[in-house]
Amino acid sequence: MLLVGVGCLALALFLFSCSFISPAHRVTPLGEEGVFPPRYSIVCIIHGDGGYLYHDPRGNAYRADEETLAKAKTVAERNPQAEVFIFHEKRRKHFLLFFPLRDGKFYYYRHGRLLAEESYWRDQGQSRFDPEVELYQRFRAEARPQLVRLFLYFGHEIPEFGGAGYDASYSKRTFTIDDLAEGLKRITGDSTKFDLIVLSTCFSGTPHTIAALAPYGRYIIASPDNLHLSYFDLDPFEQLDVGLPAGDVSAFAKTFAQHAFNRLTENIQTAVTVAVYDVDRVQGFLHSVDSVYEQALTTLKGETPASIEHCDCAEEPAYILPGMSQGVDVFYRPPRFGRLKHKQSHSGWECWRFLK
Amino acid sequence: MLARTAFRLFIILFVVFYAGIAFGQDVLQKYLNDTSLKVKATTDPSQKREILNESFEKMSKALDKVQRSPLVSKEDRAGINLLKASLQEKLDELAGLNGYERVSDEQLDSFSDYVVQDMEQADRTVTISLVTLLLIIIIVILLV
Repeated sequence: MLLVGVGCLALALFLFSCSFISPAHRVTPLGEEGVFPPRYSIVCIIHGDGGYLYHDPRGNAYRADEETLAKAKTVAERNPQAEVFIFHEKRRKHFLLFFPLRDGKFYYYRHGRLLAEESYWRDQGQSRFDPEVELYQRFRAEARPQLVRLFLYFGHEIPEFGGAGYDASYSKRTFTIDDLAEGLKRITGDSTKFDLIVLSTCFSGTPHTIAALAPYGRYIIASPDNLHLSYFDLDPFEQLDVGLPAGDVSAFAKTFAQHAFNRLTENIQTAVTVAVYDVDRVQGFLHSVDSVYEQALTTLKGETPASIEHCDCAEEPAYILPGMSQGVDVFYRPPRFGRLKHKQSHSGWECWRFLK
Repeated sequence: MLARTAFRLFIILFVVFYAGIAFGQDVLQKYLNDTSLKVKATTDPSQKREILNESFEKMSKALDKVQRSPLVSKEDRAGINLLKASLQEKLDELAGLNGYERVSDEQLDSFSDYVVQDMEQADRTVTISLVTLLLIIIIVILLV
């Protein structure tokens, strides 16, 4: 009798946990918002399944993903001409220790209003962004020719090979830059590229990463070196009608990068590097170094993390080519301490090398 | 005293296992952040240096002890080596050894921020398993 009671209770709790957060509750039906197509479309993915704790110089603790989520919501609310998709990839949690809860949260804003909010299951195997792509397809507005499309990713360094352990909750699940590229390919579909891709992660300004995302974006902003978890500041996104009035994405990208750089250098003692890549103009360099870089990646695949390190490509002779700086705007300040504190410049491209 | 320490360890063990591996990393970051706050709380440069030295050495000692444990895998040993090397570099720079310029007295507060922020980058964090992180945390706590 007792066993039956416990069984019933467990079943009830399981069912309760499954329905604890309803999978979708649209806050407002598409009404007036559907009549006026948005001028800007922003897709924002925030990875939060890992170590994202950081402190400010006063010792206050923050969670990078939670801070970014709040900021992304502000951006969504302050852009009356935009549609904004926010995907928050969360750590796996359990209700009463045993009952799994959904590990993704989706928000959809249009014209400054939250129209949909939904908890979802992320891919449990290899990440292909299936649920995110499905939600994007379901909610996106009819594209109009002048639509400016922006994509933002916030998280830890996206691996170029291997990729196991990116999610703290799923140690065997893999995620690499090629998976992100695949996700972007499916989001963009047959339509035009993103006008701007922002990678708020460490070491994303590598030849392989930029080449992988190049088919899906016109401009890319990335940090070739380390990036503190306080990330790139999103303030310039808050009023796109003011910051991006004539759709000049090139100018906006440089303004955004300069602003992010200024904000980071206020408090951060480690290196600050923000680069803007004009995808068309960097193609020559990417083609020239493609085989060298891919060969290096193949060699590194079998190595332990302790035997390899990132470095400025300008420190490796094979990458020093005449067109190296073409199409790249770099904002760089060396770390205040450490071996590289006297390094005066950065090429904007990050490579790998064996530790001496 | 022993009972209180045992109780603290039990609570930490439970919370860490429940909250997962990132919590372990959080504890290490919090430890360095507390060090930074202590450094800023004093005006005496020699005391600042002592706080930093003591903190790095405690952490280094904990890493050494954990590394010798049979519970630690080969991969974790490699991860611990990276952490140890990073700590050693900070110790060297603080003292001006191994080719480093000695951190000046005026820069000690900023240096303590640098140590914290160096652990808080959006790179792929050093991969260390939960069991090993747990051991590091326990030893650091026992050494405090």
